[in-house]
Amino acid sequence: MVTTLYDVAYFLSSSLLDALGTHLPGILGTALTNSGLIWLLAAVIFGAILLGASMINTIMLIWFERKMLGRFMDRRGAMHVGFAGLLQNFADGLKLFRKNTFKPREADALGYYSGPTAYMVTSLLIFGILPISSGWSDGSLPLTLLLALVIFSFAPLFIFVSAWSSNNKYSLLGGMRSAAQMIAYEVPILIAVVAVVVVAGSFDLTTIVNEQQNYWFWGPLFLALVVFVTGMLAEMERIPFDLPEAEAELVEGWNTEYGGMLFAFFMLADYLRALVGSILVVLLFLGGWTLPSYLPAGLTSFPLAGILWFMIKTYLVFGLFVWIRASLPRVRTDQLLRVGWMRMIPLSLLSIVLAVVLVAVRCLPVFGCLPPVGGT
Amino acid sequence: MSEMWINMGPQHPMTHGLWNLRVKIDGELIVDVDPEMGYLHRGIEKISEDRHYNEVITLMDRTCYVAGLAWEHLYIIASEQALGVETPERAQYIRVMTDEFQRIASHIMWYAAFVQDVGLMSPFLYGMRDRDLVLDLFQSFTGGRLTYEYNRVGGVRNDMPPGFTDRSRKVLDWLMDRFVEYDHLCLGSEIFRRRCDQLGVLRAPDAIALGVTGPMLRGAGVPRDLRKDRPYAVYDRVEFDIATAEAADVTSRYLVRMEEMRQSVRIIRQVLDWLDHHPGPVLAEKLPKWLGAPYAPVGREGYLLRRNYPKGVGFSSVEEPHGEAQAYVVNEGTEHPYRVKFRSPVFANIAACKKYMIGYRVADIPPIMGSVDICVGEVDR
Repeated sequence: MVTTLYDVAYFLSSSLLDALGTHLPGILGTALTNSGLIWLLAAVIFGAILLGASMINTIMLIWFERKMLGRFMDRRGAMHVGFAGLLQNFADGLKLFRKNTFKPREADALGYYSGPTAYMVTSLLIFGILPISSGWSDGSLPLTLLLALVIFSFAPLFIFVSAWSSNNKYSLLGGMRSAAQMIAYEVPILIAVVAVVVVAGSFDLTTIVNEQQNYWFWGPLFLALVVFVTGMLAEMERIPFDLPEAEAELVEGWNTEYGGMLFAFFMLADYLRALVGSILVVLLFLGGWTLPSYLPAGLTSFPLAGILWFMIKTYLVFGLFVWIRASLPRVRTDQLLRVGWMRMIPLSLLSIVLAVVLVAVRCLPVFGCLPPVGGT
Repeated sequence: MSEMWINMGPQHPMTHGLWNLRVKIDGELIVDVDPEMGYLHRGIEKISEDRHYNEVITLMDRTCYVAGLAWEHLYIIASEQALGVETPERAQYIRVMTDEFQRIASHIMWYAAFVQDVGLMSPFLYGMRDRDLVLDLFQSFTGGRLTYEYNRVGGVRNDMPPGFTDRSRKVLDWLMDRFVEYDHLCLGSEIFRRRCDQLGVLRAPDAIALGVTGPMLRGAGVPRDLRKDRPYAVYDRVEFDIATAEAADVTSRYLVRMEEMRQSVRIIRQVLDWLDHHPGPVLAEKLPKWLGAPYAPVGREGYLLRRNYPKGVGFSSVEEPHGEAQAYVVNEGTEHPYRVKFRSPVFANIAACKKYMIGYRVADIPPIMGSVDICVGEVDR
């Protein structure tokens, strides 16, 4: 039996409404159980579970980064709130939540408020699509990968809108840098993803993962992985590509004028996108929730094993991003764009060629053979 | 987008202090720059006129808050000249040692701030960690970690504690290892080289014409170092080389400072050996009575302005970590200096910024300004 998250939500919703319906008299009870209310409530529960899970993971991601950065820098990171500083980010969030939300007098209210909100919402939307474990999605969405990347690429628009409307020179410079950078790196990411699609034969993330059961794509498609990870670093605006919020020269870049909860929105959305980026790397190149079948079956047979392995891989990938952040300086705008347009795009095109060759020959000397066409 | 002025400062992550760099930009291109100083003016030169000679030393620590001992040394040479006081040899050696330790501490502080301007995060904390070891040494013989008040007219306040030289040697060995690590993190990084090579170029003729000194001048290939050219204290008795680099860009300034730290270690090792074998007084026996006791400056009570003491003027120039600092002290025969005037090297180095900033990009401002090693305390005084 395939259990998806939506099935769980539907089960919760229907049992709740059934229980209510039996206790309510007459027509009201039947209206509760027989109308579309169950579907509506199921959707709400589905969203709430996703929201909670992604939020908690994001906050844990921030904690993970702080601790890891601390170790790289010969210090301990957050230590005081909660065990080993686990609750520090919740405290920080609470502080930001209690702060006054303000708007600079000359700022444009519509853009100033809607920018961060839309940025946050679109970042959250992606989680509705990403499969986390086997049976997560029932395959009714055949183009999940494409959809995820499309939503992912909304961000520069909202960043630019919020930067422009906050009426600050630093924000404007940061917003323009951000837009230029994201558009420049969107292209190689999409082309690199095509390499994966060529090999896996599907735009559906679940299918892509199932194709990788015994044949993770990171080795044979190493070039595509490099392009994808580099592009993702630029999309996430992390060092070495954090020019849009380059602290040294642009104060905070496009979110200079934001404070309180609006700033928290940007911060959270940044980490949400970092989480999405890490998840995409795991899904596309590291076999998602699967482990190779020659490993003992006990590793994957216990309940929620898929999610566990998936999270471990995701945090390892994010750890790589943190490592990069701890050890590299920031590049300059023109260098970034030159690398994006003149190096990354040829490389990503080359990776498509390699992918086509891989599909044609099926077997490579070191990496073994692709699974037969039509699933494992 | 048309050209516009943006204010980088007085509150800005790039400034490393309280000053304002006005930048006219065309997109990402720097068209014009205009530094505005004066936000940190505390009137140190004027306050000095109302203080006893030994009390001014307190202000010197606050003039440049990362190189306090170097500025103490600068002032103390000038005032000893003005007062006609002889300094014991051991005190001279100790001053050279503190100068060089201060140079290491200041350069490490510069390194920490500079790498953060380029976007490197971790080395900032490595720098702070290693600088703390030097500050620990300072604390062991001055009691202070930032403001030392260690020099006195006629010598230094106290001798080194027992075991100091061995402890210092350990710290120096540790630091020499760390310098290798610093180089790996910066010079070994392709991105760092691409950002800093051919950046902020200030050639030797311009640098000399604009009065630029210190690592910026030596980074342009000019072997000018007051410790060699006009030796003060006992610098003529220690061996070291002048660090220079040819490229006149940000990387060459980095190279110069790194090499200077290694040379400082070399100097300190020689001085420590000397200190081990030459005990003696660290404060002159014969001091003018009206200077007060060296440990407790004269209080305000008993204040009496007299004008019949010996007169004199003193001038000193010292190679402090940022460049050539100069001091002029006029003694008109009173308990206070009649006039104290300083020349800050950083002021000239910043003032030359039109020569080495125009034509680069907004993202280049922090590395270029970081490579100048700005200490606003001594610029505004």
